Amino acid sequence: MNKTLRNPYVYLLFVVPTIGLYFLFFVYPVFQSVVYGVTDWDGLNPAKFVGLENFINAFKDADFTASIRNNMYFILFSIFIQVPLIITFSLLISGVKRFQGFYKTTVFMPSILSTSIIGILWQFMYHPSIGFFNKFLGWFGIEPIYWLSDPKWAMLSVLVTNAWQWMGFYIVLVLAAILAIPKEINEAAEIDGATGIQRAIKITTPLIMPIISVVVMLSIAGAMRVVDIVLVMTNGGPAGATEVMASYMVNKAIRFGQYGYGTALSIIIFAIALILTAIYQLVFARKSERVEY
Amino acid sequence: MPKIFKKGVPHLLLMIYVIIILFPFVFILFSSFKYSNDAIVNAPFGLPDRISFENYAEAWKKAKISTYFFNSAYLSLSAAVVAIFLAAATAYAIARMRLKRISNAVYQFILIGMLIPSNVLFISQYILVKDLGILGTHWSLFFPYVAGALPFSVLLIVAFMKAIPSEMEEAAIVDGLGVIGSFLRIILPLSVPALVTVFIINLMGNWNEYLLSNFFISKDYLRTLPTGMVGFRDSFKMNYPLVFTGVVISVLPILVLYGFLQRTIIEGLTAGGVKG
Repeated sequence: MNKTLRNPYVYLLFVVPTIGLYFLFFVYPVFQSVVYGVTDWDGLNPAKFVGLENFINAFKDADFTASIRNNMYFILFSIFIQVPLIITFSLLISGVKRFQGFYKTTVFMPSILSTSIIGILWQFMYHPSIGFFNKFLGWFGIEPIYWLSDPKWAMLSVLVTNAWQWMGFYIVLVLAAILAIPKEINEAAEIDGATGIQRAIKITTPLIMPIISVVVMLSIAGAMRVVDIVLVMTNGGPAGATEVMASYMVNKAIRFGQYGYGTALSIIIFAIALILTAIYQLVFARKSERVEY
Repeated sequence: MPKIFKKGVPHLLLMIYVIIILFPFVFILFSSFKYSNDAIVNAPFGLPDRISFENYAEAWKKAKISTYFFNSAYLSLSAAVVAIFLAAATAYAIARMRLKRISNAVYQFILIGMLIPSNVLFISQYILVKDLGILGTHWSLFFPYVAGALPFSVLLIVAFMKAIPSEMEEAAIVDGLGVIGSFLRIILPLSVPALVTVFIINLMGNWNEYLLSNFFISKDYLRTLPTGMVGFRDSFKMNYPLVFTGVVISVLPILVLYGFLQRTIIEGLTAGGVKG
Protein backbone atom coordinates (compact mmCIF):
# COMPACT_ATOMS: atom_id res chain seq x y z
CA MET A 1 0.00 0.00 0.00
CA ASN A 2 2.83 2.33 0.82
CA LYS A 3 3.99 1.66 -2.67
CA THR A 4 0.69 2.80 -4.11
CA LEU A 5 0.77 6.01 -2.13
CA ARG A 6 4.37 6.60 -3.10
CA ASN A 7 3.82 6.42 -6.84
CA PRO A 8 6.16 9.18 -8.01
CA TYR A 9 4.55 9.55 -11.44
CA VAL A 10 1.14 10.21 -9.99
CA TYR A 11 2.72 12.54 -7.48
CA LEU A 12 4.28 14.55 -10.28
CA LEU A 13 1.04 14.49 -12.24
CA PHE A 14 -0.76 15.95 -9.22
CA VAL A 15 1.81 18.52 -8.22
CA VAL A 16 3.53 19.77 -11.36
CA PRO A 17 0.62 21.62 -13.05
CA THR A 18 -0.11 23.55 -9.87
CA ILE A 19 3.49 24.38 -9.18
CA GLY A 20 4.03 25.33 -12.81
CA LEU A 21 1.14 27.78 -12.95
CA TYR A 22 1.88 29.10 -9.51
CA PHE A 23 5.49 29.63 -10.41
CA LEU A 24 4.83 31.32 -13.75
CA PHE A 25 2.07 33.70 -12.63
CA PHE A 26 3.01 34.22 -9.01
CA VAL A 27 6.60 33.56 -8.08
CA TYR A 28 8.21 34.64 -11.32
CA PRO A 29 6.41 38.03 -11.35
CA VAL A 30 7.66 38.66 -7.83
CA PHE A 31 11.25 38.27 -8.96
CA GLN A 32 10.53 40.27 -12.09
CA SER A 33 9.17 43.08 -9.93
CA VAL A 34 12.42 43.28 -8.05
CA VAL A 35 14.35 43.30 -11.32
CA TYR A 36 12.19 45.98 -12.99
CA GLY A 37 12.13 47.98 -9.79
CA VAL A 38 15.78 48.91 -10.11
CA THR A 39 15.55 49.92 -13.78
CA ASP A 40 14.09 52.84 -15.68
CA TRP A 41 12.24 50.55 -18.11
CA ASP A 42 9.45 52.26 -20.03
CA GLY A 43 8.26 49.27 -22.04
CA LEU A 44 9.90 50.44 -25.27
CA ASN A 45 13.56 51.26 -24.79
CA PRO A 46 15.97 48.78 -23.27
CA ALA A 47 15.97 48.95 -19.51
CA LYS A 48 18.84 50.70 -17.80
CA PHE A 49 19.94 49.83 -14.28
CA VAL A 50 19.34 52.79 -11.99
CA GLY A 51 19.88 51.22 -8.59
CA LEU A 52 17.70 52.56 -5.83
CA GLU A 53 16.85 55.75 -7.69
CA ASN A 54 13.19 54.76 -8.16
CA PHE A 55 12.78 54.18 -4.48
CA ILE A 56 14.39 57.48 -3.56
CA ASN A 57 12.28 59.30 -6.13
CA ALA A 58 9.14 57.68 -4.80
CA PHE A 59 9.54 59.31 -1.42
CA LYS A 60 10.30 62.65 -3.06
CA ASP A 61 7.23 62.26 -5.26
CA ALA A 62 4.63 64.45 -3.56
CA ASP A 63 1.77 62.72 -5.40
CA PHE A 64 2.88 59.34 -4.12
CA THR A 65 3.36 60.47 -0.51
CA ALA A 66 -0.09 62.05 -0.70
CA SER A 67 -1.45 58.69 -1.80
CA ILE A 68 0.25 56.99 1.17
CA ARG A 69 -1.58 59.45 3.39
CA ASN A 70 -4.87 58.51 1.74
CA ASN A 71 -4.22 54.82 2.44
CA MET A 72 -3.66 55.78 6.05
CA TYR A 73 -7.08 57.46 6.04
CA PHE A 74 -8.55 54.13 5.02
CA ILE A 75 -6.81 52.45 7.94
CA LEU A 76 -7.77 55.11 10.47
CA PHE A 77 -11.35 55.19 9.24
CA SER A 78 -11.70 51.43 9.63
CA ILE A 79 -10.12 51.30 13.06
CA PHE A 80 -11.78 54.30 14.66
CA ILE A 81 -15.13 54.46 12.87
CA GLN A 82 -15.85 51.04 11.43
CA VAL A 83 -14.58 48.76 14.19
CA PRO A 84 -16.65 50.36 16.97
CA LEU A 85 -19.71 50.24 14.73
CA ILE A 86 -18.97 46.65 13.79
CA ILE A 87 -18.78 45.64 17.45
CA THR A 88 -21.95 47.55 18.29
CA PHE A 89 -23.99 46.04 15.50
CA SER A 90 -22.67 42.53 16.12
CA LEU A 91 -23.68 42.83 19.75
CA LEU A 92 -27.09 44.13 18.76
CA ILE A 93 -27.68 41.31 16.29
CA SER A 94 -26.50 38.70 18.77
CA GLY A 95 -28.93 40.13 21.34
CA VAL A 96 -32.10 39.82 19.31
CA LYS A 97 -33.97 36.61 18.73
CA ARG A 98 -36.39 37.63 16.08
CA PHE A 99 -35.08 38.53 12.60
CA GLN A 100 -31.53 37.57 13.53
CA GLY A 101 -31.08 35.65 10.28
CA PHE A 102 -32.63 38.47 8.29
CA TYR A 103 -30.27 41.07 9.78
CA LYS A 104 -27.28 38.86 9.18
CA THR A 105 -28.19 38.17 5.55
CA THR A 106 -28.96 41.80 4.80
CA VAL A 107 -25.87 43.39 6.32
CA PHE A 108 -23.68 40.83 4.58
CA MET A 109 -25.19 41.47 1.17
CA PRO A 110 -22.99 44.34 -0.06
CA SER A 111 -19.86 42.26 0.36
CA ILE A 112 -20.93 39.79 -2.33
CA LEU A 113 -21.25 42.51 -4.96
CA SER A 114 -18.48 43.68 -7.21
CA THR A 115 -16.77 46.85 -6.10
CA SER A 116 -17.23 48.40 -9.52
CA ILE A 117 -21.01 48.03 -9.35
CA ILE A 118 -21.02 49.47 -5.84
CA GLY A 119 -18.92 52.36 -7.06
CA ILE A 120 -21.46 53.12 -9.78
CA LEU A 121 -24.34 52.74 -7.36
CA TRP A 122 -22.84 55.16 -4.88
CA GLN A 123 -21.84 57.68 -7.49
CA PHE A 124 -25.53 58.21 -7.95
CA MET A 125 -26.09 58.46 -4.22
CA TYR A 126 -23.57 61.30 -4.29
CA HIS A 127 -24.88 62.78 -7.53
CA PRO A 128 -25.04 66.58 -7.22
CA SER A 129 -28.60 66.92 -8.51
CA ILE A 130 -30.37 63.58 -8.18
CA GLY A 131 -28.31 61.99 -5.43
CA PHE A 132 -29.80 61.09 -2.09
CA PHE A 133 -27.48 63.14 0.06
CA ASN A 134 -28.10 66.44 -1.66
CA LYS A 135 -31.86 65.87 -1.83
CA PHE A 136 -31.79 65.14 1.86
CA LEU A 137 -29.73 68.22 2.70
CA GLY A 138 -31.94 70.21 0.36
CA TRP A 139 -34.90 69.63 2.66
CA PHE A 140 -33.00 71.57 5.29
CA GLY A 141 -32.09 74.28 2.83
CA ILE A 142 -28.46 73.28 2.55
CA GLU A 143 -26.78 74.02 -0.76
CA PRO A 144 -25.82 71.02 -2.90
CA ILE A 145 -22.39 69.59 -2.18
CA TYR A 146 -20.28 68.18 -4.99
CA TRP A 147 -19.33 65.13 -3.00
CA LEU A 148 -17.03 63.42 -5.44
CA SER A 149 -15.64 66.45 -7.25
CA ASP A 150 -14.93 68.63 -4.23
CA PRO A 151 -11.49 67.77 -2.81
CA LYS A 152 -12.81 68.49 0.67
CA TRP A 153 -15.46 65.79 0.50
CA ALA A 154 -14.23 63.26 -2.05
CA MET A 155 -12.09 61.19 0.31
CA LEU A 156 -14.79 60.97 2.94
CA SER A 157 -17.33 59.96 0.30
CA VAL A 158 -15.13 57.10 -0.88
CA LEU A 159 -14.46 56.00 2.71
CA VAL A 160 -18.16 55.86 3.50
CA THR A 161 -18.83 53.78 0.40
CA ASN A 162 -16.03 51.42 1.30
CA ALA A 163 -17.41 51.08 4.82
CA TRP A 164 -20.88 50.43 3.48
CA GLN A 165 -19.50 47.61 1.35
CA TRP A 166 -17.37 45.81 3.92
CA MET A 167 -18.82 46.39 7.38
CA GLY A 168 -21.38 43.64 7.02
CA PHE A 169 -18.70 41.10 6.25
CA TYR A 170 -16.88 41.89 9.48
CA ILE A 171 -20.12 42.06 11.45
CA VAL A 172 -20.84 38.48 10.42
CA LEU A 173 -17.31 37.43 11.44
CA VAL A 174 -17.66 39.02 14.88
CA LEU A 175 -21.22 37.78 15.27
CA ALA A 176 -20.07 34.20 14.78
CA ALA A 177 -17.52 34.68 17.56
CA ILE A 178 -20.12 36.16 19.90
CA LEU A 179 -22.55 33.33 19.27
CA ALA A 180 -19.78 30.82 20.01
CA ILE A 181 -19.35 32.12 23.57
CA PRO A 182 -20.84 29.60 26.00
CA LYS A 183 -24.23 30.78 27.27
CA GLU A 184 -23.41 29.99 30.91
CA ILE A 185 -21.04 32.93 31.22
CA ASN A 186 -23.69 35.48 30.34
CA GLU A 187 -26.34 33.67 32.35
CA ALA A 188 -24.17 33.70 35.43
CA ALA A 189 -23.61 37.43 35.05
CA GLU A 190 -27.30 38.01 34.57
CA ILE A 191 -28.08 36.18 37.81
CA ASP A 192 -25.52 38.38 39.52
CA GLY A 193 -27.52 41.34 38.32
CA ALA A 194 -25.51 42.63 35.36
CA THR A 195 -27.57 44.56 32.83
CA GLY A 196 -27.47 43.86 29.13
CA ILE A 197 -25.16 46.77 28.41
CA GLN A 198 -22.85 45.85 31.30
CA ARG A 199 -22.63 42.30 30.02
CA ALA A 200 -21.90 43.49 26.51
CA ILE A 201 -19.07 45.75 27.66
CA LYS A 202 -17.59 43.73 30.50
CA ILE A 203 -18.06 40.15 29.32
CA THR A 204 -18.73 39.77 25.62
CA THR A 205 -16.38 42.43 24.29
CA PRO A 206 -13.28 41.17 26.14
CA LEU A 207 -14.08 37.63 25.04
CA ILE A 208 -14.19 38.61 21.38
CA MET A 209 -10.96 40.58 21.42
CA PRO A 210 -9.12 37.93 19.37
CA ILE A 211 -11.59 38.19 16.50
CA ILE A 212 -11.54 41.98 16.72
CA SER A 213 -7.81 41.80 16.42
CA VAL A 214 -8.32 39.72 13.26
CA VAL A 215 -10.78 42.29 11.95
CA VAL A 216 -8.25 45.09 12.50
CA MET A 217 -5.57 43.02 10.74
CA LEU A 218 -7.84 42.35 7.79
CA SER A 219 -8.81 46.02 7.66
CA ILE A 220 -5.18 47.07 7.50
CA ALA A 221 -4.50 44.52 4.77
CA GLY A 222 -7.63 45.62 2.92
CA ALA A 223 -6.73 49.30 3.23
CA MET A 224 -3.33 48.63 1.70
CA ARG A 225 -4.94 46.79 -1.21
CA VAL A 226 -7.74 49.22 -1.90
CA VAL A 227 -7.86 50.30 -5.54
CA ASP A 228 -11.03 49.24 -7.39
CA ILE A 229 -13.34 51.61 -5.59
CA VAL A 230 -11.05 54.57 -6.24
CA LEU A 231 -10.59 53.74 -9.92
CA VAL A 232 -14.32 53.39 -10.44
CA MET A 233 -15.59 56.32 -8.39
CA THR A 234 -13.01 59.07 -8.83
CA ASN A 235 -9.98 57.63 -10.62
CA GLY A 236 -7.89 59.32 -7.96
CA GLY A 237 -9.37 62.76 -8.48
CA PRO A 238 -10.25 65.49 -7.92
CA ALA A 239 -6.65 66.62 -8.18
CA GLY A 240 -5.32 63.49 -6.49
CA ALA A 241 -7.55 63.95 -3.44
CA THR A 242 -8.54 60.27 -3.41
CA GLU A 243 -5.47 58.73 -5.04
CA VAL A 244 -4.28 55.64 -3.18
CA MET A 245 -0.92 53.94 -3.57
CA ALA A 246 -2.20 51.13 -5.77
CA SER A 247 -4.19 53.38 -8.12
CA TYR A 248 -1.19 55.68 -8.46
CA MET A 249 1.07 52.73 -9.22
CA VAL A 250 -1.31 51.25 -11.79
CA ASN A 251 -1.77 54.57 -13.58
CA LYS A 252 1.96 55.30 -13.63
CA ALA A 253 2.69 51.93 -15.20
CA ILE A 254 -0.15 51.47 -17.64
CA ARG A 255 -0.98 55.06 -18.65
CA PHE A 256 2.49 56.53 -18.59
CA GLY A 257 4.45 53.37 -19.32
CA GLN A 258 6.76 53.88 -16.35
CA TYR A 259 7.09 50.17 -15.63
CA GLY A 260 10.33 50.50 -13.72
CA TYR A 261 9.04 53.20 -11.44
CA GLY A 262 5.67 51.47 -11.10
CA THR A 263 7.14 48.18 -9.92
CA ALA A 264 9.34 50.05 -7.46
CA LEU A 265 6.13 51.56 -6.08
CA SER A 266 4.55 48.11 -5.84
CA ILE A 267 7.51 46.89 -3.80
CA ILE A 268 7.14 49.89 -1.50
CA ILE A 269 3.44 49.12 -1.07
CA PHE A 270 4.29 45.55 -0.14
CA ALA A 271 6.97 46.71 2.30
CA ILE A 272 4.65 49.19 4.00
CA ALA A 273 1.99 46.49 4.34
CA LEU A 274 4.52 44.12 5.93
CA ILE A 275 5.80 46.77 8.32
CA LEU A 276 2.32 47.81 9.43
CA THR A 277 1.31 44.19 9.97
CA ALA A 278 4.45 43.51 11.96
CA ILE A 279 3.97 46.59 14.12
CA TYR A 280 0.39 45.68 14.77
CA GLN A 281 1.30 42.11 15.67
CA LEU A 282 4.02 43.22 18.05
CA VAL A 283 2.13 46.00 19.76
CA PHE A 284 -1.45 44.83 19.94
CA ALA A 285 -2.12 41.31 18.81
CA ARG A 286 0.11 39.68 21.44
CA LYS A 287 -1.88 41.12 24.30
CA SER A 288 -5.16 39.68 23.21
CA GLU A 289 -3.98 36.36 21.93
CA ARG A 290 -5.49 33.88 24.29
CA VAL A 291 -8.98 33.68 25.62
CA GLU A 292 -10.11 30.74 27.65
CA TYR A 293 -13.67 30.18 28.62
CA MET B 1 -42.91 50.09 28.86
CA PRO B 2 -39.25 49.57 29.82
CA LYS B 3 -39.41 46.03 28.49
CA ILE B 4 -40.79 47.06 25.14
CA PHE B 5 -38.19 49.79 25.10
CA LYS B 6 -35.41 47.33 25.83
CA LYS B 7 -36.51 45.03 23.07
CA GLY B 8 -37.39 47.78 20.66
CA VAL B 9 -34.21 49.83 20.65
CA PRO B 10 -31.93 47.14 19.19
CA HIS B 11 -34.45 46.41 16.46
CA LEU B 12 -34.83 50.09 15.74
CA LEU B 13 -31.07 50.57 15.36
CA LEU B 14 -30.73 47.44 13.26
CA MET B 15 -33.61 48.48 11.04
CA ILE B 16 -31.89 51.80 10.41
CA TYR B 17 -28.81 49.90 9.33
CA VAL B 18 -30.87 47.60 7.12
CA ILE B 19 -32.48 50.64 5.48
CA ILE B 20 -29.04 52.15 4.83
CA ILE B 21 -28.01 48.91 3.15
CA LEU B 22 -31.15 48.47 1.10
CA PHE B 23 -31.80 52.09 0.19
CA PRO B 24 -29.38 52.37 -2.74
CA PHE B 25 -30.85 49.23 -4.27
CA VAL B 26 -34.41 50.47 -3.99
CA PHE B 27 -33.43 53.87 -5.38
CA ILE B 28 -31.77 52.22 -8.36
CA LEU B 29 -34.62 49.80 -8.92
CA PHE B 30 -37.30 52.52 -8.92
CA SER B 31 -35.25 54.80 -11.10
CA SER B 32 -34.57 52.08 -13.64
CA PHE B 33 -38.27 52.03 -14.51
CA LYS B 34 -38.45 55.76 -15.11
CA TYR B 35 -38.28 56.89 -18.67
CA SER B 36 -36.34 60.14 -18.41
CA ASN B 37 -33.79 61.99 -16.35
CA ASP B 38 -36.45 64.55 -15.46
CA ALA B 39 -38.63 61.91 -13.89
CA ILE B 40 -35.75 61.03 -11.60
CA VAL B 41 -34.71 64.60 -10.85
CA ASN B 42 -38.25 65.64 -9.93
CA ALA B 43 -39.02 62.71 -7.66
CA PRO B 44 -35.89 60.69 -7.01
CA PHE B 45 -37.45 58.60 -4.28
CA GLY B 46 -40.93 58.33 -5.68
CA LEU B 47 -42.40 55.31 -7.32
CA PRO B 48 -42.31 55.55 -11.09
CA ASP B 49 -45.67 56.87 -12.30
CA ARG B 50 -45.74 54.40 -15.11
CA ILE B 51 -43.55 51.39 -15.26
CA SER B 52 -41.53 51.22 -18.42
CA PHE B 53 -39.59 48.15 -19.32
CA GLU B 54 -38.17 49.81 -22.40
CA ASN B 55 -35.01 50.64 -20.49
CA TYR B 56 -34.42 46.98 -19.93
CA ALA B 57 -34.70 46.04 -23.56
CA GLU B 58 -32.53 48.99 -24.52
CA ALA B 59 -29.87 48.38 -21.90
CA TRP B 60 -29.67 44.71 -22.74
CA LYS B 61 -29.02 45.60 -26.37
CA LYS B 62 -26.95 48.77 -26.10
CA ALA B 63 -24.80 47.76 -23.20
CA LYS B 64 -24.18 44.29 -24.53
CA ILE B 65 -24.88 43.18 -21.00
CA SER B 66 -25.62 39.71 -22.31
CA THR B 67 -22.08 39.58 -23.75
CA TYR B 68 -20.44 40.84 -20.57
CA PHE B 69 -22.57 38.50 -18.55
CA PHE B 70 -21.63 35.50 -20.63
CA ASN B 71 -17.92 36.45 -20.54
CA SER B 72 -17.97 36.84 -16.78
CA ALA B 73 -19.92 33.65 -16.26
CA TYR B 74 -17.78 31.35 -18.34
CA LEU B 75 -14.48 32.91 -17.30
CA SER B 76 -15.17 32.81 -13.58
CA LEU B 77 -16.69 29.34 -13.76
CA SER B 78 -13.94 27.77 -15.84
CA ALA B 79 -11.16 29.39 -13.80
CA ALA B 80 -12.79 28.28 -10.55
CA VAL B 81 -13.31 24.73 -11.81
CA VAL B 82 -9.76 24.36 -13.10
CA ALA B 83 -8.31 25.89 -9.93
CA ILE B 84 -10.25 23.54 -7.72
CA PHE B 85 -9.15 20.44 -9.66
CA LEU B 86 -5.51 21.47 -9.65
CA ALA B 87 -5.65 22.46 -5.99
CA ALA B 88 -7.44 19.27 -4.95
CA ALA B 89 -4.95 17.04 -6.78
CA THR B 90 -2.00 18.88 -5.26
CA ALA B 91 -3.61 18.87 -1.85
CA TYR B 92 -4.12 15.12 -2.16
CA ALA B 93 -0.48 14.61 -3.05
CA ILE B 94 0.61 16.74 -0.10
CA ALA B 95 -1.85 15.48 2.49
CA ARG B 96 -2.29 11.82 1.62
CA MET B 97 0.61 10.55 -0.42
CA ARG B 98 3.62 9.29 1.44
CA LEU B 99 6.40 11.43 0.11
CA LYS B 100 6.57 13.54 3.22
CA ARG B 101 9.79 15.39 2.63
CA ILE B 102 8.95 16.62 -0.86
CA SER B 103 5.42 17.40 0.24
CA ASN B 104 6.68 19.60 3.01
CA ALA B 105 8.85 21.58 0.62
CA VAL B 106 6.01 21.91 -1.90
CA TYR B 107 3.64 23.02 0.83
CA GLN B 108 6.01 25.68 2.18
CA PHE B 109 6.67 26.91 -1.33
CA ILE B 110 2.96 27.37 -2.01
CA LEU B 111 2.41 28.92 1.40
CA ILE B 112 4.64 31.86 0.49
CA GLY B 113 2.03 32.84 -2.05
CA MET B 114 -0.37 33.70 0.76
CA LEU B 115 1.88 36.53 1.83
CA ILE B 116 1.96 38.31 -1.50
CA PRO B 117 -0.90 40.71 -2.16
CA SER B 118 -2.14 40.48 -5.74
CA ASN B 119 -1.78 44.23 -6.36
CA VAL B 120 1.95 43.95 -5.99
CA LEU B 121 2.05 41.49 -8.88
CA PHE B 122 -0.07 43.60 -11.15
CA ILE B 123 2.59 45.25 -13.32
CA SER B 124 4.77 42.16 -13.68
CA GLN B 125 1.72 40.10 -14.57
CA TYR B 126 0.80 42.70 -17.14
CA ILE B 127 4.25 42.44 -18.70
CA LEU B 128 4.15 38.66 -18.46
CA VAL B 129 0.86 38.26 -20.32
CA LYS B 130 2.10 40.76 -22.87
CA ASP B 131 5.26 38.71 -23.39
CA LEU B 132 3.24 35.52 -23.64
CA GLY B 133 1.20 37.16 -26.37
CA ILE B 134 -2.11 36.70 -24.57
CA LEU B 135 -2.71 40.32 -23.53
CA GLY B 136 -6.20 41.35 -24.57
CA THR B 137 -7.52 37.79 -24.67
CA HIS B 138 -9.46 35.92 -22.02
CA TRP B 139 -6.41 33.79 -21.36
CA SER B 140 -4.75 36.82 -19.79
CA LEU B 141 -7.44 36.72 -17.10
CA PHE B 142 -7.93 32.97 -16.93
CA PHE B 143 -4.35 32.13 -15.94
CA PRO B 144 -3.92 34.83 -13.27
CA TYR B 145 -7.33 33.90 -11.82
CA VAL B 146 -6.40 30.22 -11.60
CA ALA B 147 -2.89 30.88 -10.32
CA GLY B 148 -4.09 33.48 -7.85
CA ALA B 149 -6.61 31.04 -6.39
CA LEU B 150 -4.13 28.19 -5.92
CA PRO B 151 -2.20 29.05 -2.73
CA PHE B 152 -5.26 29.66 -0.63
CA SER B 153 -7.19 26.74 -2.13
CA VAL B 154 -4.36 24.24 -1.62
CA LEU B 155 -3.93 25.43 1.96
CA LEU B 156 -7.58 24.99 2.86
CA ILE B 157 -8.03 21.65 1.11
CA VAL B 158 -4.81 20.22 2.59
CA ALA B 159 -6.06 21.07 6.08
CA PHE B 160 -9.33 19.32 5.33
CA MET B 161 -7.81 16.22 3.69
CA LYS B 162 -5.35 15.72 6.52
CA ALA B 163 -8.27 15.33 8.89
CA ILE B 164 -9.84 12.47 6.92
CA PRO B 165 -9.13 9.16 8.72
CA SER B 166 -7.01 6.78 6.66
CA GLU B 167 -8.81 3.46 7.32
CA MET B 168 -11.18 3.70 4.42
CA GLU B 169 -8.50 4.64 1.95
CA GLU B 170 -6.18 1.91 3.23
CA ALA B 171 -8.86 -0.73 2.92
CA ALA B 172 -9.63 0.33 -0.63
CA ILE B 173 -5.98 0.24 -1.60
CA VAL B 174 -5.52 -3.20 -0.07
CA ASP B 175 -8.47 -4.26 -2.22
CA GLY B 176 -6.53 -3.10 -5.24
CA LEU B 177 -7.65 0.48 -5.84
CA GLY B 178 -4.91 2.59 -7.40
CA VAL B 179 -3.80 5.95 -6.15
CA ILE B 180 -5.76 7.93 -8.74
CA GLY B 181 -8.81 5.83 -7.96
CA SER B 182 -8.38 6.50 -4.29
CA PHE B 183 -8.15 10.23 -4.97
CA LEU B 184 -11.16 10.37 -7.27
CA ARG B 185 -13.43 7.88 -5.55
CA ILE B 186 -12.63 8.18 -1.87
CA ILE B 187 -10.85 11.34 -0.81
CA LEU B 188 -12.41 13.75 -3.32
CA PRO B 189 -16.03 12.88 -2.43
CA LEU B 190 -15.19 13.12 1.26
CA SER B 191 -13.69 16.58 0.75
CA VAL B 192 -16.78 18.09 -0.83
CA PRO B 193 -17.49 20.55 2.02
CA ALA B 194 -14.02 22.09 1.69
CA LEU B 195 -14.27 22.06 -2.09
CA VAL B 196 -17.60 23.91 -2.00
CA THR B 197 -16.14 26.60 0.25
CA VAL B 198 -13.10 27.07 -1.92
CA PHE B 199 -15.18 27.01 -5.08
CA ILE B 200 -17.50 29.75 -3.87
CA ILE B 201 -14.67 31.99 -2.74
CA ASN B 202 -12.90 31.64 -6.06
CA LEU B 203 -16.03 31.98 -8.15
CA MET B 204 -17.13 35.19 -6.43
CA GLY B 205 -13.61 36.56 -6.50
CA ASN B 206 -13.37 36.00 -10.25
CA TRP B 207 -16.87 37.27 -10.90
CA ASN B 208 -16.18 40.57 -9.14
CA GLU B 209 -12.57 41.05 -10.22
CA TYR B 210 -11.99 44.50 -11.67
CA LEU B 211 -8.34 45.53 -11.77
CA LEU B 212 -6.96 42.91 -14.16
CA SER B 213 -9.98 42.79 -16.41
CA ASN B 214 -9.93 46.56 -16.68
CA PHE B 215 -6.35 46.76 -17.85
CA PHE B 216 -5.77 43.41 -19.57
CA ILE B 217 -8.84 43.51 -21.82
CA SER B 218 -9.44 46.35 -24.23
CA LYS B 219 -11.94 44.98 -26.76
CA ASP B 220 -15.47 45.74 -25.73
CA TYR B 221 -16.93 42.35 -26.65
CA LEU B 222 -14.38 40.58 -24.42
CA ARG B 223 -15.13 42.66 -21.33
CA THR B 224 -16.44 41.14 -18.16
CA LEU B 225 -19.41 42.48 -16.26
CA PRO B 226 -17.60 44.74 -13.75
CA THR B 227 -15.51 46.52 -16.39
CA GLY B 228 -18.28 46.39 -18.98
CA MET B 229 -20.63 48.20 -16.62
CA VAL B 230 -18.09 50.91 -15.88
CA GLY B 231 -17.60 51.42 -19.62
CA PHE B 232 -21.36 51.52 -20.05
CA ARG B 233 -21.64 54.16 -17.35
CA ASP B 234 -18.99 56.26 -19.06
CA SER B 235 -20.65 56.14 -22.45
CA PHE B 236 -24.22 56.77 -21.26
CA LYS B 237 -23.43 59.27 -18.53
CA MET B 238 -26.38 61.41 -19.46
CA ASN B 239 -29.02 58.72 -19.56
CA TYR B 240 -29.48 57.81 -15.90
CA PRO B 241 -32.37 55.37 -16.23
CA LEU B 242 -30.40 53.34 -18.71
CA VAL B 243 -27.34 53.13 -16.45
CA PHE B 244 -29.54 52.20 -13.51
CA THR B 245 -31.12 49.48 -15.57
CA GLY B 246 -27.70 48.10 -16.41
CA VAL B 247 -26.81 48.02 -12.73
CA VAL B 248 -30.04 46.23 -11.84
CA ILE B 249 -29.52 43.60 -14.53
CA SER B 250 -25.97 42.93 -13.44
CA VAL B 251 -26.75 42.78 -9.73
CA LEU B 252 -29.91 40.71 -9.92
CA PRO B 253 -28.45 37.27 -10.69
CA ILE B 254 -26.00 37.56 -7.83
CA LEU B 255 -28.73 38.59 -5.41
CA VAL B 256 -30.94 35.71 -6.54
CA LEU B 257 -28.07 33.27 -6.09
CA TYR B 258 -27.40 34.80 -2.70
CA GLY B 259 -31.05 34.37 -1.78
CA PHE B 260 -30.83 30.64 -2.38
CA LEU B 261 -27.33 29.94 -1.10
CA GLN B 262 -26.89 32.61 1.57
CA ARG B 263 -25.74 30.19 4.23
CA THR B 264 -23.14 28.52 2.08
CA ILE B 265 -21.96 31.82 0.64
CA ILE B 266 -21.65 33.53 4.02
CA GLU B 267 -19.81 30.57 5.52
CA GLY B 268 -17.57 30.21 2.51
CA LEU B 269 -16.63 33.85 2.27
CA THR B 270 -16.01 34.34 5.96
CA ALA B 271 -13.91 31.18 6.02
CA GLY B 272 -11.93 32.71 3.19
CA GLY B 273 -11.71 36.05 4.96
CA VAL B 274 -8.02 35.57 5.42
CA LYS B 275 -7.65 35.60 1.68
CA GLY B 276 -9.75 38.74 1.27
